[in-house]
Amino acid sequence: MSATAVATGPVVEKRRGEGLTATALLAPATIFVAICLLAPLAYLFRYSLNDFVATKKMMVEAVTIANYVKFFTDPYYTAILGTTVRIAVMVTAACLVLGFPLAYVMARTQSRFKNVLIILTVLPLFVGNAVRSAGWMVIFGNKGFFNASLQGLGLIEKPIEIMYTEKAVIIGIIAVNLPFMVLTLQSVIESIDRAVEEAAFSLGAPPLTMFRRVLWPLAMPGILAGTILCFILAMNAYATPFLLGGPLFKMMAPLVYNQFTQQANWPFGGAIAFILMSVTLGLTLIANLIFQRKAAR
Amino acid sequence: MTSLTVIRRRAGRWALNGAAGLALAYILLPLIFVVWLAFFRQEIPSFPPEGYSLKWFAAILDQRKFVDGFSLSFRVGVLATAIGLALGVPAALCLVRYNFKGRGPLANLLLLPVVVPGVVLGTAMYVFHVEAENALDVDVLGTFYALVAGHIVIVIPWVVRLVTASLVGVDRAIEEAAQNLGANAWVTFWRITLPSIRPGIVAGALFGFVTSFGNLEMSLFLVGAGRTTLPIVILQYLEWKIDPTIAAVSVIQILLIAIAMLVTDRYVKLSRVV
Repeated sequence: MSATAVATGPVVEKRRGEGLTATALLAPATIFVAICLLAPLAYLFRYSLNDFVATKKMMVEAVTIANYVKFFTDPYYTAILGTTVRIAVMVTAACLVLGFPLAYVMARTQSRFKNVLIILTVLPLFVGNAVRSAGWMVIFGNKGFFNASLQGLGLIEKPIEIMYTEKAVIIGIIAVNLPFMVLTLQSVIESIDRAVEEAAFSLGAPPLTMFRRVLWPLAMPGILAGTILCFILAMNAYATPFLLGGPLFKMMAPLVYNQFTQQANWPFGGAIAFILMSVTLGLTLIANLIFQRKAAR
Repeated sequence: MTSLTVIRRRAGRWALNGAAGLALAYILLPLIFVVWLAFFRQEIPSFPPEGYSLKWFAAILDQRKFVDGFSLSFRVGVLATAIGLALGVPAALCLVRYNFKGRGPLANLLLLPVVVPGVVLGTAMYVFHVEAENALDVDVLGTFYALVAGHIVIVIPWVVRLVTASLVGVDRAIEEAAQNLGANAWVTFWRITLPSIRPGIVAGALFGFVTSFGNLEMSLFLVGAGRTTLPIVILQYLEWKIDPTIAAVSVIQILLIAIAMLVTDRYVKLSRVV
């Protein structure tokens, strides 16, 4: 993510023996990541081109794109991909709308509680998706807080079904991704000079105009970075759809897991994994291009 | 300024703060309810609670899987963080201090593991471990060290990223001064460079450890029989039922992470690293 920070670091002129030192410093980590990450990815891709005999539950060595064809020709699977993309887009939009005010307040506050605000935002990130899903289960269950409160107030008679629906999944993933969006936006807004906003105000711009003409364009790099991060995370969500969506609700990441563990169909599971990665990266690149064309205009 | 504009501006400020508060409440809401549930007297999460009790915290110790899961996650996290630091800190030093061909791609390679989805990481490593097992004729899949190796991969990006960020701010002239005064490369590193990048190392270690400790998707494919990490124990339990015991486990986890973050915050301002 901060590859740019790496690339712009101070650079010193070359001295004798430096090449050797540099290699000794960098080689162990590089070799480790190559063996433990690149090689496995290469193997997974190779597996995704293999055949699978369903009757014997056995993988047969081959070079075929049958698994990829199977995914895109079966409406069952394309529907799951469609659901995943749709949910990811909705979640990302909701995170941007909900996250911007919080990011702005966090960036601009002079309060000594700023660190507390940041810790409260970061803490849930580290608590794990399963635990946070548990919280939503307590709220949305049939005897949960939400239904018990509404019934107590006499607003409804029967509990509303939220658990194990798409609604629960969307609500859950928004809560998971919101901190990432907030932290990304906050760091960018912080780097925008407060004086620019004041200038817009003193020239008579109402707050909304200031936001639209000054803050939004200046914060665009952060908005783009946060949106992309949020979208990628939503596309790959596993624990939240698994726990809040129930067994009948399907998204891509649980589907990969299911193909590997329940069906033992490694070639097809591998193919779905690569389709998930490619679609995510592809949509991200398209969004980037559209944005850059707009910015160039 | 007319009083009307003052009122308008004040109303705008309240609306902004209200919207911010709403988002923060949304983020924290699930955690609040988990903590609340941990103190219920009855076992079923129904509202309003019949009363409050601390007995569920004692009940955790009766369930070996939670204790074992915690212990495994802790050991894997510590080992992966230690090795991740040993590999990542020198790599970060090299990426900032030396200019060479392929520096950008190599930096991206080390940061790649955070971008690859957990499920893809897990499946890829699973397949690779099976192949390695066949080729080397030793147990790989589901072993402790294979799990640690996977976790080192996800710790490295955090270490590289945070140490790099803190190195960029260090003045190279101080190191050169030390070397002019006769310190060798090792002494310079130990006495000058290391202390100045300590915040980055502390932050990298914290984020690396917490990432490892909480990892779910990748670990699902790497754990073996009778060897399960805490997040997986929690997931499998929640698939079956939700009760105050699992909430109490979560409360302890939340407390530990909060303490770790407060301690780290003393060394390095979290607002500068995330």
